[in-house]
Amino acid sequence: MKSVMIIFNQANTERVEFIFDRLKIKGYTWWSEVKGRGSETGEPRMGTHTWPEMNSAAMTIVEDDKVDELLECIKKLDEINKEVGVRAFVWNIERSY
Amino acid sequence: MSIYKNAVKKPITTMMVFAAVIVMGIYSLIYLPVDLYPEMDPPFISVITSYTGANASDIETNVTRPLENMLNTVDNLREISSVSSDNVSVITLEFDWEADLNEASNDVRDAIDLVYGFLPEGVERPTIFKFDLSMIPILFYAITAEESYPGLGKILEEQIINPLNRIEGIGSAGLLGSPQRRIYVEADPVKLAAYNLTIEQLGNTIRSENMNMPSGNIRMGMMDYQLRVEGEFAESYELNNLVVGHFQGSSVFLSDVAQVSDTLRDLSLDERIDGSQGVRLMVMKQSGANTVTVARDVKNAIAELQQDLPPDITVREIIDTSVFISDSVNNLSQTMLWALFFVILVVLFFLGKWRATFIVILTIPISLIVSFVYLFVTDGSLNVISLASLSIALGMVVDDAIVVLENISRHIERGTSPREAAIYATNEVWLSVIVTTLVIVAVFFPLTLVSGMTGVLFSQLGWIVTITVSASTIAAITLTPMLASQLLELKKRVEKPGRFSHQKTIEPFLEWLDGFYEKTLRVALRNKKKVVIGGLAVFIGSLFLLGFISTDFMPESDESRLNASIELTTGLRVEETMKVSRELEGIIRERYPEVQLMAVSSGSDDAGGISALFSQRGSNSIDMVLRLSPVSERNRSVWQIADDLRRQMELIPEVVEYSVTTSGGGFGSNTVDVEIYGFDFDVTGALAHQIRDAIQAIPGAEDVQISRKDDRPELQVVLDRNKLAENGLNTAMVSSAIRNRVAGMTASMLREEGDEYDIIVRYREDTRSAISDIESLVLTNATGSRVFLGEIGRVEEYWSPPNIERKSRERIVTVSAVPSGIALGDLAQEINSVVSSIDAPPGIMINVGGAYEDMAEGFMDLGLLLVISIILVFLVMASQFESFVMPFVIMFSIPFSFTGVILALFITNTTLSIIAALGAVLLIGIVVKNGIVLVDYINLMRDRGHALNEAIAISGKLRLRPVLMTAATTTLAMLPLALSRGEGSEIWSPMGISLIGGLVFSTVVTLILVPVVYSIFSRRGERDKIQEVRRRFRFLNGENPISGQ
Repeated sequence: MKSVMIIFNQANTERVEFIFDRLKIKGYTWWSEVKGRGSETGEPRMGTHTWPEMNSAAMTIVEDDKVDELLECIKKLDEINKEVGVRAFVWNIERSY
Repeated sequence: MSIYKNAVKKPITTMMVFAAVIVMGIYSLIYLPVDLYPEMDPPFISVITSYTGANASDIETNVTRPLENMLNTVDNLREISSVSSDNVSVITLEFDWEADLNEASNDVRDAIDLVYGFLPEGVERPTIFKFDLSMIPILFYAITAEESYPGLGKILEEQIINPLNRIEGIGSAGLLGSPQRRIYVEADPVKLAAYNLTIEQLGNTIRSENMNMPSGNIRMGMMDYQLRVEGEFAESYELNNLVVGHFQGSSVFLSDVAQVSDTLRDLSLDERIDGSQGVRLMVMKQSGANTVTVARDVKNAIAELQQDLPPDITVREIIDTSVFISDSVNNLSQTMLWALFFVILVVLFFLGKWRATFIVILTIPISLIVSFVYLFVTDGSLNVISLASLSIALGMVVDDAIVVLENISRHIERGTSPREAAIYATNEVWLSVIVTTLVIVAVFFPLTLVSGMTGVLFSQLGWIVTITVSASTIAAITLTPMLASQLLELKKRVEKPGRFSHQKTIEPFLEWLDGFYEKTLRVALRNKKKVVIGGLAVFIGSLFLLGFISTDFMPESDESRLNASIELTTGLRVEETMKVSRELEGIIRERYPEVQLMAVSSGSDDAGGISALFSQRGSNSIDMVLRLSPVSERNRSVWQIADDLRRQMELIPEVVEYSVTTSGGGFGSNTVDVEIYGFDFDVTGALAHQIRDAIQAIPGAEDVQISRKDDRPELQVVLDRNKLAENGLNTAMVSSAIRNRVAGMTASMLREEGDEYDIIVRYREDTRSAISDIESLVLTNATGSRVFLGEIGRVEEYWSPPNIERKSRERIVTVSAVPSGIALGDLAQEINSVVSSIDAPPGIMINVGGAYEDMAEGFMDLGLLLVISIILVFLVMASQFESFVMPFVIMFSIPFSFTGVILALFITNTTLSIIAALGAVLLIGIVVKNGIVLVDYINLMRDRGHALNEAIAISGKLRLRPVLMTAATTTLAMLPLALSRGEGSEIWSPMGISLIGGLVFSTVVTLILVPVVYSIFSRRGERDKIQEVRRRFRFLNGENPISGQ
């Protein structure tokens, strides 16, 4: 089991939802407004006057074999336009209840 | 859920909400009355008191003064003025415009009650008269006739006036100068004396013969009969056979001593329409009725009724106030269509996309329609002011939608789906959209608080722009994102665009412009000092130009109508006055082919009703109304013709005074009045003449008039009371006897077909047309023997005192002048210098007022408005930027907008009227809005970490298009207003001119000077605040802020 956290520009909300649907990922947790900035290229998403845009985050716990598929989709999404911005991070799930 | 999110997620609901607004708006539009100006009740109340037998100065001391003293205490009173003339006192109270007139008239009534007991006996109860705009006729007709002229009054009464009164919205209809049938019995005094008869005997005989009398019932057999004595004359000739007395055993018939003539009333008013005899028909509407519809109904009705009139009667229109109204309204509607067209062009030019343009343009009708709902709810009307306001607002309502749409497009181009782009892009800008709207509202809303006559004008402008702009903001954050989400789609850029496509033509140009501007900006930033000094030099230089611009109150409009009122030598007979009228008619026909219709009335209608109280007309006055061909069909303006007519009148020796006016009321008054306060008639009169002569010498001063008329010659019968007593007579008996012989005794009425005509018995005219004739009038004394009037008194010729005018409870004479070819402000200045060079005798006060005073007040109001607007705009901006410096930087462009106004007025040779000045005030909001767009973005770039000059250059490049676009939409929307030359355009074009001038100039300034000033002000780290704060965080260096270690 892996946990995948996707952090993306709000403007991509529907596309991320669509990816989950497409990959038949049922369970996820969603934060609709999160702030942050990228380490290298990502513009700040602060919801302020200076940086008005906002990010959302979604975390899903999937079987290991789903991860590659999911990351592939995220990559495609990012390639539509790099400026908009989407990132995914994967880590292990030690235990679950 | 935010409003825009809801709007995007529920497109149908959004559409339905706006559809509902449109339906309500259209409903309101259909039911909105059309009028020239918003409804305004002139706050005047007149108190009319008659005291029969008193002369002007008696009236002044005994009636006017006590009343004035008491009325002066009434609340909200602005000014009190009065005219005391023989027999009557008219006091006019002017209240504040906001005053409730119903309450005021109650107060007036109470004040009169308090003082009434102290007035002399015989003073009738004062009548309170409230002036109402609906008393001004909306239609004037000239009706001429040949053979039917004698019966014209009756024919028109039955066939025109009665049917007209049935039309909805008609207040009343009345005839002026209609001939009235009279039966005159004109006796020869010599024959009367020979047969031992008097006028009174003749009159009493006629009265007692001309009657029908029910005389009881008679029961005869089974029936009950009414018994009647029928003695009424059926025809006037029966009078001839009346036996009026006996002499030496034989009967004396009326025809033996008098001549009976069934004719028209003696001439006192002569009405000519294009030289032929006729009458005038006036139609008044009910208060609140729609002038245009009422006029249309009346015209239709008259066209129909005319067919039933005898063929020699022609009905022609002299004045139709509705034509000017509907022409101005149509003209403005056309102006608005042009404005709409220009705005569409601008938006399309910059955006280059049909769908985006459609979305932006859709906010125009929606926000304008909301203002129709507002007008409907507040009982307003579609008028010149509301339409011009809409026209001004038109260019501004697209701005918000443009900002929102631009951001949405940017998101879509980045690859976001339109739905999401609509939501998130709106989220990013909605607050700043609201703030820029607030800036506009901050300038327009204070307009609604202005009072007075100008307030009526301004407040509608203020409300309409505030409402439309607010509505446009709401539409921009709901409808625009919704439509964008539905209509916009991501399209790949066409690889090979057409030769004339937007992508190939306009876009490169705009890109070049962006680049050019960026370069210019960088140069300017390197030469800050030069730019600032240059800017200040231009501003100060423009202030010198201000000296060349004349000031005016309200621009006058060419209503294709001329009114002239002419005074001939005092006391002139109406027959002589008519001769001058004929001469003038000839001159006018010869010199002015533009005149389509000419109605001239000479003399005065002594039964003129209440209006006679307000105008001092006599047998020596001439009134002319000239209707000219439409503005577009003639070369000479109404003012040129008026000037020429004045020159012509100067050539006629009989003309003592004249005034030629070109406006039909409304805001048209344009006089400078020199008010001379002082008690002594001779001193003030002489001074008035001196001032008049001095003013007449000023070039451009026309229609110079003195309000106090010359003394009028009168004949007075002075009775010797001793001799009266010897003859057993008294003044009352003698005066009524004289009246019966000269004016005539109304003996009875001839009844015919339901109408009654007076039978008047009097002396033949040639026996009462000299002083000696009057002295030889025969009266009967108490013993029944005859005395001549000359035996008991004598006839003296003397000059009756003038009417006594008062203002602020002091006697006043006004010398008034109308500017022609020069501006009101200039004339007032000249007159002021003339007046100050005249040494006023002690106790005399001279004041220059009139429309000039209103003008000064208007400019004061505007000055105050300017200050309030600047403060409010500052408040809004300071809170938006959370800074005291930024508002100053942006407001730096305001003075330059005034420079632009001055330049525009100077170049177009327009006077600085209240309207043009209002334009300058409104500029504050519009100009500042541009500055905000730019400065806000520079701030943003600085926050994002760009260096100062770099941030300025980048934002300049990026924000150039939005700034140009908002400026261009506003300017071009105003352009048709400024260029319009049709009916009523004179009122609004100055505002268009000043707005365009100011906006164009200040846009240039905003683009160069504001960034430069910004860089000067923020050099000392306006944007380094965060560093400042962080510098204090030294905990990482091991410092503890609590222990201080």
